[in-house]
Amino acid sequence: MKTDVIEADVLCVGGGIAGLMAAIRARELGAKVVIAEKGNALASGSARAGNDHFQCYIPEVHGPDIKPFIHQLQSHRGQIRDKKLAQAWAERSFEIVKLWDSWGIPMKYEGRYEFAGHGYAGYRLDHLKYSGLKQKPILVQEATKRGVEIINRVMIFDLLRDSGIVGAIGINTREDKLVIFLAKNVVLGTGFITRLYPSPVHGRINNPNFPITVTGDGRAMAFRAGAELVALDMPYRHCGPKYFARSGQATWVGVIRDGQGKQVGPFVSSPDRKYGDVVLETYPTLFEDVATAGKGPVYMDCTGISPEDYAYMIHFMKQEGYTSFLNYLAEEGIDLRVNPIEFMRYEIRVLGGVYYNEKAETSLTGLYAAGDELWGGIANAAVFGWIAGENAATGARGKQQSQLYTLQSFIEEKKQVLEKMKGRKAITDWKDANMALQQIMNDYAGVVRSETQLNAGLNALRRLKTKVNTHLAARNQWELTRCLETVNLLDLAELVIVAARERKETRGRHIRPDYPVTDPRLDKSRLFIKKVNDKIITEWRTIQD
Amino acid sequence: MPPVINEDKCKRCGKCVDICSEDVFYGSPKGEFPVVTYPEVCWYCNCCVNECTVEGAIKLQLPLSLSLCYK
Repeated sequence: MKTDVIEADVLCVGGGIAGLMAAIRARELGAKVVIAEKGNALASGSARAGNDHFQCYIPEVHGPDIKPFIHQLQSHRGQIRDKKLAQAWAERSFEIVKLWDSWGIPMKYEGRYEFAGHGYAGYRLDHLKYSGLKQKPILVQEATKRGVEIINRVMIFDLLRDSGIVGAIGINTREDKLVIFLAKNVVLGTGFITRLYPSPVHGRINNPNFPITVTGDGRAMAFRAGAELVALDMPYRHCGPKYFARSGQATWVGVIRDGQGKQVGPFVSSPDRKYGDVVLETYPTLFEDVATAGKGPVYMDCTGISPEDYAYMIHFMKQEGYTSFLNYLAEEGIDLRVNPIEFMRYEIRVLGGVYYNEKAETSLTGLYAAGDELWGGIANAAVFGWIAGENAATGARGKQQSQLYTLQSFIEEKKQVLEKMKGRKAITDWKDANMALQQIMNDYAGVVRSETQLNAGLNALRRLKTKVNTHLAARNQWELTRCLETVNLLDLAELVIVAARERKETRGRHIRPDYPVTDPRLDKSRLFIKKVNDKIITEWRTIQD
Repeated sequence: MPPVINEDKCKRCGKCVDICSEDVFYGSPKGEFPVVTYPEVCWYCNCCVNECTVEGAIKLQLPLSLSLCYK
């Protein structure tokens, strides 16, 4: 196996919004910056196809008092955040809005800042409508222009650790090559976790509502390196078109209705571009309740939409990345003005991730994280990517690069794991391992969780991990990449089960029949999880208010 | 079996092969007609279709199991 060694002041793991923003900022501040991206940064990550909502504070729209906005960000639909983090987000989001607009990502609609969706009458709307269809190529261009080196087709799978984090190790996803990065500081921006639970169409691995190669790699490698993760116990479930899973529920301008045509929520009775229908976000058991009441299915009904609002919705669907969806509608002759579309609740997603503070620092020296490493959407990724780049670059000044020879035994150990996966003849492929994992997560740590069920799941998962360690095989670099993702998912699954077992209450989508009461003492607490001496340790901590 | 490429219209420029983050065209030789090696991981993001400069040379074909349900 050939090995490349690349040195940089700042290494950004993942070329999504967070990674690109971190790289641009770090380079502006004089650092030598490399991005390692396992796909192609022009079209990778969750923001690859576009976005249309940017959660931000704009004084001229929201008024001079930033406090209510910070408060809203601190506890947004099931998430609780430290005040300082919410404050940094609020204070710096408008700066990023103006920056993106100047780079050619249109942040205004018809010449004004337009806030719509994810809300209802009386709610302080905080999601700016913007046109993000071309955001990835534009950010790549801005990064390249400044001298950031973007290395596509390299999957980082572990961090290199000395006294702190000093680099990372990866593979080329197309050629038989190991890639070692030595970096003074590392920024994780690999996004959240898909493929942990089965996706909406049984037996298919390729239709979660977020891209399937976003597999929580950063969280898994951060955990293995000893970093603190947070809130892995809390599940979240998106909804959208049935079977053809897409995010962007708030881009739709329609009314959620049951099979009898009755509106389900109290918020809107006819399509309204300002609010959409937020009942999808506020009513966790909507789909189950409608079905058990014998009134299913649930429709997103855009009939009666005005021509102006229809044009508005279609414009933003395109910006959100719905181009394949819109092509499909055209081919099939489906007209959203005429045909209500069935919606469904998608599989569980984990709300938490790598803990980072308002400076984008993780619990490990030399390691920063941003964006969906801790879930927060596009604005969070952009703002904390920017902050991470800033602090990683300034923190790298005067810092010595680690020497390769001090890391050699760890690298050799990893190399052997890869060679074993590629050398095995009897095939347990990544897909089989991944599906085995998904059924454990679905059946033992799914919608309903109990101590006995979670313990049984943990046993099954640990047996699966042992098998995978000795059986997983890759026939080429592409499969090796999927195998490494699957190994990451297996580590994360264990953390999710341990964390879920520790939350001895029912809260939101975390349903514990053995602990049915919501414990108010945990209202402001989050569960941290990390590895100490090869053991998983959990700890409750109150958020800083 | 997405994506589907029209052999007559395709210019063999490799743009679709280059853009795909899932690398469904893995192993496609440079300058030749792209091979859809791993269709089962296509996420229907349409990036390959949007990237293609020849009208109608590439399209996504949605599997039947992902068909929309509507009134």
